[in-house]
Amino acid sequence: MKDELVKTVDHGRNLGAEYVEARAQQLFKTLLTTKDGKVEVAKEGIESGAGVRVLLNGAWGFVSLGKLESKLLAEAVDGAVRLAKAASLRVKKPVKLVETRAMEDRIVAYPKKNPRDVTVEEKIDVALTMDKTIFGYDNRMKSCTIDYLDVTGTNHFVNSDGTYIEQDKLYVWSRIQASAREANIFASGREEIGSTSGFEIFNTEIPEKVGTMIAKRIINQLKAKTPKGGTFPAVIGPNVVGVFIHEAMGHLAEADLTLSGSILYDKLGKQIASDAVTVYDDGTVAGAFGSFKYDDEGVLTQKTPLIEKGELTGLMHNRETAYMLNAEPTGNARAENFRFEPIIRMRNTYLAPGDRTFEELIEGIDFGYYLKSFRGGQANLDGTFQVGIQEAYEIVKGQLGAPVRNASISGNTLETLHKVDAVGRDFELWPGRCGKGQTAFICDGGPDIRVREVIIGGGA
Amino acid sequence: MAEPSSTELVDFGKRAVNFAIRRGAEEAEAFLSMLSSTSINIERGQIVRSTKRIDQGLGVRAIYRKSVGFSYTNTLSIKNIEDAATKAFKFARASRPDTKWQNLPNPRRLNETKDTYDKRLESISSDELVKMAAVMLDAVEAYDKRVLSVAGGVGTSLIHTVIVNSHGVEAYDRGTAVGCSMETIARDGNDVTPACFEVNAERIYRIDPEGVGKEAARQAVSSLKAKKIESRSLPVIFTQAAFRCLLYFTLINAVKADYVQRERSALKGKIGEKVASDLVTVYDNGLLEGGLLTRKFDGEGVPCQKTLVIEKGILKHFLYDNYSANKSGAESTGNASRTGLAPYASTPVLEASNFVFTSGNTAPDELVGEVEEGLIVYGVQGAHSSNPESGEFSVVATPVWKIEGGSVVYALRGVMLTGVIFDVLKNVSALGNNMRKIGQLVAPWIRVEDVRAVGRR
Repeated sequence: MKDELVKTVDHGRNLGAEYVEARAQQLFKTLLTTKDGKVEVAKEGIESGAGVRVLLNGAWGFVSLGKLESKLLAEAVDGAVRLAKAASLRVKKPVKLVETRAMEDRIVAYPKKNPRDVTVEEKIDVALTMDKTIFGYDNRMKSCTIDYLDVTGTNHFVNSDGTYIEQDKLYVWSRIQASAREANIFASGREEIGSTSGFEIFNTEIPEKVGTMIAKRIINQLKAKTPKGGTFPAVIGPNVVGVFIHEAMGHLAEADLTLSGSILYDKLGKQIASDAVTVYDDGTVAGAFGSFKYDDEGVLTQKTPLIEKGELTGLMHNRETAYMLNAEPTGNARAENFRFEPIIRMRNTYLAPGDRTFEELIEGIDFGYYLKSFRGGQANLDGTFQVGIQEAYEIVKGQLGAPVRNASISGNTLETLHKVDAVGRDFELWPGRCGKGQTAFICDGGPDIRVREVIIGGGA
Repeated sequence: MAEPSSTELVDFGKRAVNFAIRRGAEEAEAFLSMLSSTSINIERGQIVRSTKRIDQGLGVRAIYRKSVGFSYTNTLSIKNIEDAATKAFKFARASRPDTKWQNLPNPRRLNETKDTYDKRLESISSDELVKMAAVMLDAVEAYDKRVLSVAGGVGTSLIHTVIVNSHGVEAYDRGTAVGCSMETIARDGNDVTPACFEVNAERIYRIDPEGVGKEAARQAVSSLKAKKIESRSLPVIFTQAAFRCLLYFTLINAVKADYVQRERSALKGKIGEKVASDLVTVYDNGLLEGGLLTRKFDGEGVPCQKTLVIEKGILKHFLYDNYSANKSGAESTGNASRTGLAPYASTPVLEASNFVFTSGNTAPDELVGEVEEGLIVYGVQGAHSSNPESGEFSVVATPVWKIEGGSVVYALRGVMLTGVIFDVLKNVSALGNNMRKIGQLVAPWIRVEDVRAVGRR
């Protein structure tokens, strides 16, 4: 495969490209869906293909190809060169790349339990055990959909700077969505499991335990009240801190979006949060769903500080934005698969833990909310964010109170980060998937944090 | 590059089905898709990249003693196709039976579709796409210097699909699409607006990049100098883009038969009941002329059709795929969908096609003119965190403007809208006559009374 790709890259250079990269993959997937104790379908598939990207006259051309044949690879380069030429007609500020060291490496995955060696029967068992636990928990549970996916395979990467990397891919993922109904009250919940270590993740995420946690949360919602709308103090749990940091802060610190006018545009080196806040985007957490060794531009991953004691100290870069902002590439260029070109994506993004206990965080709050588990979140370049909450509780006179359903929080990212006045010590990292025109597997998390005020929506 | 012809695709499909049956499957189905797409992308005020994707493949469903196995490949060779058929059968044998499984669909007569394919889009050059992108970009720049074209582009796609099953279903369809979109922000000193967005997508080559650029720029400029509001209930006009987001995670799920059957729909048992204002009539129309989701057959080879969902506020019919129809003794409404960049790799999922709110007869400016105090909402953020079962939502309205005395007066910031989609439908007080296709939704602007807006204290 290496020779083919080197030839492809050389062909692009001969056609006048400033930079050429070629990625080839063969991916094996197993997918399952179960609904209410029944296997809807068990699937298996093989996808092979290549992505060729060229930089010519300061513009990019990219061709992806659902085939691996040398003749077609050469044609793909021709096509990418044509596309780049067409795009370059309107370039005002030509794209340039920061220099990187040429790397040669082979990264092999060593799972304890390789999903490719696990029978489909065993995978079905894991899903149906979670399903059975959920329905067994309470007869008001009405539906349960479980998706399971594993991906294995190898990625080959060559670029015209002399880098060659062969890197195994290994992902195990499952999503559990369930709902309950009692008269006219509907409650639902979801959770994801994800790992880059191997099928052994289910030794930690024990199916019975996961099922019970989800069912318990959903049944609790049936008796929950809706929140009062308005501005309140809140303690935000690790799961919600994660999605808040990812959506409301992380995306704005992806250098392509920063340059596109996110509110962090002119904030580098400035205090953008209270000094209790330190945030990293970290590709090095062993086994975490957002970890990998090299990104899809052949750059080594790293632990990148974004906020240190409230000061914005870094952004997430690819080679293009690193050049524009005179920075080092951070290993954040990721492509979902050969169908996509690499763009700046997060890895494992988290707020670093502090030293408070949970009791210390809630004790001073006369009335507020504890936001424990999220259901989706989204942010805008101007820093307006929204996070839906699937599990929340009132905090009344320093104590946890009644459960609350269908809450959501919103506000402005920077205002909210400045209002973080205490950070807990218990740390959790949660797997998820992030969409930015293509999907990336990520983690996000943190400790419990206290926020002086945040807008609580939901209810009426 | 030589691509397989429609006859060759059908032959591949037949071979896969026959092979699975020979292996021992009781029923089998092959779905093939061949997709190519080209796009020109704008980033931060300039055209810097262009992308082309070509992918094709085949997916086989094999059924054995009521259990379903599926396998796919993107290499269309006889060996790979036979391997996929064998694996699908093997997976069916390894899986668990579903006692509710009845059978794959039988052949039915397909309906004709109109304006879903345009030959010109097969051969359009990247230079021509660059020109369109440039027109859109220039329109933004010419509108106001404070506007930045954050991201956008022009793209085309061409798809061929084939379905074959062991009951005699055998069909081929092809379609084209073209579209342009633009996301903008405006910046004036320290005042940065939220992202604004405009799009125009069609099946035939008739789009207006200049109009898209202008409108995206207009929204950004008029989002400057935003104010805040107090929490209160107000009439709200939803544009198509905003309404689509709200509906996608709520009403559209609630009318799907699988949601109803699995106690996940608040509309269960409400056929014949009033669920919306008299003004509301909704169709799911898989045959809509030039519709973005129009096709001859669905992901299982069932003919696409026009299904009345809500008539003058009365709930009439749910949407079915083959499985949910068999389960209820109903007939599939042709709503099995296989989507994404690799449709062949997906098993069918019950999904609405063109979800059409019929037009009202109020002009858009009258819709605004009749509002003493209210909001006009062009987008919502966070709709995916809605409660899919109850229809409860809690979203940020952005961009959003205040209406006072019948005119749009200024932009707002930090406004959340909360409520239940079924109350929203009951409170519809007027529909515009400005029908548009935005993704799955085909609708005019829609005015809703008494929507709860949560603002700052």
